[in-house]
Amino acid sequence: MIDLVVFTVLWVSVSLLFEWIFHTLVHYGVYYYTATTQAVDGEHAVAFILYVLAPVIAFVVLMLVYDLIRFRARKSDGVLRSRHQFRTNKLFIGIWVLISIGLNLLFFVHPSASALEQMFNSEQARLNRQDLEVDVVARQWQWFFSYPQYGIDDAQDANGNSILYLPVNRNIKFVLRSYDPFHTYAPYSGVIHGFWIPAFGLKQDIIPGETRYMYVHTSKVTSYNVNPMVRVQCTEVCGPGHPFMVAPVNVVSGNDFQQWVNQQKKMEGQ
Amino acid sequence: MSSIFADISQSEALRRGRRMLPPVVRGLFWAAIGFFIVNTLVSEVLDRTPLAPYVTKVSVTFGWTAATCGWLLGVGAWELVVKPYFGSPVEWDVPNDWRRYFMMSLDHKVVGIQYMVTSVAGFFIAGLAAMLMRFELMQGNLWTFPTPNAYLSTVGIHGTIMMFSFGTVMLVGGFGNYLIPLMIGSNSSAFPRVSAISQWLLPVGIVTVALSPILGTWTTGWRGYAPLAEQDPNGIVFYYLGVFAMTTSSLLVSINLTATILFQRAKGLTWNRIPMYAWGILAASLLNIIWLPEIQMTFILALLNNIVPLPMFSQIGTPLTYMEVFWLFGHPEVYIVVVPAFALWQEILPVMGQKTLFARSWGVLGLVFVMMFSGLVWAHHMFTNMRNDQMLPFSFFTEMISIPTGFAFLVSLGTVWKSRLRLTTPTLLVFMSMFNFLIGGVTGVMLADPVINLQTHDTFFVVGHFHYTIIGAMVFSFMAAAYYWLPRFSGRMYNEFWGKVGAIWVFIAFNAVFGQFLLIGLRGMNRWVPVYPKYLQNMNFEISLFAFLLGLGFLFNLVYYIWVWRYGKRVDANPWSAKTLEWQSTSAPGETNFDPPVQVLMGFYDYSDERPVCKPTSPAEVS
Amino acid sequence: MSDTPASRPTPRRNPEWSKTLFAVVFILVVIAAIVALFWQRQIGDAWSRMFGTERVQTGTTHIEQYDYGFHPRHITWRVGDKVTISLHNASATHWHEMMIGRGFDDTPYVVGPVHTQFDQDFWDGVHVTMSHAFKVDNFVPNKAIVTFVGQKPFTTEGGNFSPTLEPGGSLDLTFTVPNKPGTWQYGCFVQQFMHYVAGMHGTITILPAKT
Repeated sequence: MIDLVVFTVLWVSVSLLFEWIFHTLVHYGVYYYTATTQAVDGEHAVAFILYVLAPVIAFVVLMLVYDLIRFRARKSDGVLRSRHQFRTNKLFIGIWVLISIGLNLLFFVHPSASALEQMFNSEQARLNRQDLEVDVVARQWQWFFSYPQYGIDDAQDANGNSILYLPVNRNIKFVLRSYDPFHTYAPYSGVIHGFWIPAFGLKQDIIPGETRYMYVHTSKVTSYNVNPMVRVQCTEVCGPGHPFMVAPVNVVSGNDFQQWVNQQKKMEGQ
Repeated sequence: MSSIFADISQSEALRRGRRMLPPVVRGLFWAAIGFFIVNTLVSEVLDRTPLAPYVTKVSVTFGWTAATCGWLLGVGAWELVVKPYFGSPVEWDVPNDWRRYFMMSLDHKVVGIQYMVTSVAGFFIAGLAAMLMRFELMQGNLWTFPTPNAYLSTVGIHGTIMMFSFGTVMLVGGFGNYLIPLMIGSNSSAFPRVSAISQWLLPVGIVTVALSPILGTWTTGWRGYAPLAEQDPNGIVFYYLGVFAMTTSSLLVSINLTATILFQRAKGLTWNRIPMYAWGILAASLLNIIWLPEIQMTFILALLNNIVPLPMFSQIGTPLTYMEVFWLFGHPEVYIVVVPAFALWQEILPVMGQKTLFARSWGVLGLVFVMMFSGLVWAHHMFTNMRNDQMLPFSFFTEMISIPTGFAFLVSLGTVWKSRLRLTTPTLLVFMSMFNFLIGGVTGVMLADPVINLQTHDTFFVVGHFHYTIIGAMVFSFMAAAYYWLPRFSGRMYNEFWGKVGAIWVFIAFNAVFGQFLLIGLRGMNRWVPVYPKYLQNMNFEISLFAFLLGLGFLFNLVYYIWVWRYGKRVDANPWSAKTLEWQSTSAPGETNFDPPVQVLMGFYDYSDERPVCKPTSPAEVS
Repeated sequence: MSDTPASRPTPRRNPEWSKTLFAVVFILVVIAAIVALFWQRQIGDAWSRMFGTERVQTGTTHIEQYDYGFHPRHITWRVGDKVTISLHNASATHWHEMMIGRGFDDTPYVVGPVHTQFDQDFWDGVHVTMSHAFKVDNFVPNKAIVTFVGQKPFTTEGGNFSPTLEPGGSLDLTFTVPNKPGTWQYGCFVQQFMHYVAGMHGTITILPAKT
């Protein structure tokens, strides 16, 4: 009995300690740096799971430590076997099974299903009439970004490297394809790439032969120079050049974006 | 202790006649001949192309097959399998010294040790590959590997060998072969020849994969995703073939162990008395039998796709076809790895606590339900590839599988509660394993959530997660089992101080490495990159230092283990006062386990009952 | 059990095989495997350096391109010889080019500078005849003086002299080795310069003319 009481008291305290640690983590930002509403949603999902699981983690960790210390066999005892020999405890097993089923159902409802629902909603056309469309083409080993609404075919910086410019507070629709625009005679040479901007909080694989979409809502003015997590990174291994499939991203104000569009068009017009 | 084999060291008659060639040497020689003949036939005669090199994709496939056959025949299958099949008497003598480990043997204990040693060799080869990777990652630019493809090959070799020669094999082929017949009171496994052959396929697989870069640096990692695999140089062929050899090895050994558990049990060892480890092996073996043929067919298709070549994953299929069939096996694979580990917790803790196993039926239920659910979760590896409406069912089952997994914790924690826990190295390692798997489980619940998965997929977060489940749970449990059964294997006892030093060393280094993997993944470090942006360099540098510490920790344990095996303090037959049958026999490799056969009188995990668990059967009772 | 060794008639061989033979063969095989795995390329290069200069190639040099490399990786020519490069792209999926030059042009990039092509073009001012062009993706003559025999491939501008072959493509380049002795490199920079990074390069030794 005394063990139960002591353990329960310790468990509550350790749970609170874990809640505090996770709260600090979440406060600092579990995704380190976020620049879209989608990334913030993901962070909330992580935070929810951590908060709910803190007592569970505390229970197991404390149980391990408590058992090691409290039930350690001491040489001085002189007996080998434990006095307590029981095969089962229906109450404990019942609570354990019900809680584990309950927690998993809870996680399925929220955040899994609910957050996914929110994500699907943001992809529905009726909500996205003002979407900025960016056509993303991945080839071995390069990104191409074009803006059909603005007539930009291949956004490049001064060095000829691909670059992605996005206006802030806009819904962005990425149209993702994998093929080589320069060598269309080899339509099957494409491989799977992964389109990821770490600060944007989600990624999609780009599969040759398919057109796929990814939607984000940019939420702050930032760039690769501000935080290197604001970059396009290929995440699906695509051959030797895989690590080099990186492109910087700039999220800028509406005016700056328009200025950049004009500049790009002038460059491409030459 | 009578031997089931002729005791040749005492028989002068056997010393006559010419000395036989060492079987391994003969195996290598026959393999070389097989490769040379068949490769020449294919590349220079049947499939001759001007200017093509001597070794082509096609010729190496056939040449490798011939070499493997030559090797298996050379190490003993010729005398043990082929000639007896045609009616000749068996002429295969196994000397009673260390030579028996370097030739084909029908003794399950010899096969078990061969498996363990090969598997550990695979672990250290793959571990060396990991060290090379961490060395490269100390800087953000390419500075140790000549090309990114060489780095990617190393990644692939690390993953493939770890998975198929250690994770899948160590607890099933190694401990399973040695201990299962002992634990169920049998004198041999059901099909000793099958295990003998399967053991000798394992080194073929390891060597094939490890040497694959000689044929060309392949870039796909251990998963071999099409269509990238279609473009890869010939090295990828050795990846397919090596995996084929290793999976065949596991498949054969699983068939053997399943049959052994089903049909070879001692009298009185009823279904509700089967030891927990045997349950674990049964569940893992059934998983192997269900899923390994599936991945083998996939790899054969992928191999044909590559060498013929066929357009199966591009023009007439889609790249998703390969992914689906790969992960259909790939996720059950991780349960093949951890289910025996869960069983080990439930095997070791009642002995160390000298307390009746808690909620045994729930433990068995957990193992069996994990096995049954394992085929329903695979596509959570593909949330970034699939249609949105396919995500939720897989997310659901992935979250649900944590319920039967939790039963392993339920049983273990219930068993140690109010026990008299002896704080030995195996206990400590089991506790560490439980802690690590807890972290693996929590990160797993996060990854099962599609919104979080879309951010963390293909980053070091995922790498951290699966190393927590596989090294964290399986390798730590393996180490616990290795120390636990060391007195049984060698008759010698390790020193608790040094055993604990090894355990704590590995535990700290492991958590420092893979805990930081979780963080660096969230910070934007993606997989398969020898070159990465500068801001990740400091953290990677530091992770690498801990990784080297971890590598040294494993090496320390290995060296200490071998030292104890040879020079440790001698110890009594049953130092842990365990009740399971393997402790009731002192047979060494080459000796009969139970002579006369035993009859089991009660379950093995009831510590309130002081009566003996088994008694020898009288000759009259042996039918 | 009828198949245990105890039941066999008389033994014909001594099963106590030689430990020494086993150890020697085993260790040799392990060493050979490690050497082949880690130093295959270096050994090949050293071999070519030692014996390559004695094997000056005249006439046709067959060069195979594959993913990602050239075969052979070393060529030796002598100034004044008339030679032919017979280039063939053996890859089934990728297009490949062949530049020859020295030094590198670099471009800044997110993860550090990348070589884009050779700084000095070997073909500057060289008279060269292109023939048997088959499946040529594009051809950049740069400052070479090119005569076309047979079908003329699609010709474009930008960068060094480089023919780019489609998968399975081939062509012949015939020329007199110009008076540019020393060590030159050849390489492929297609697909965002990554083929060179992936190891697709080789060296040419050009010996001074015989006096």
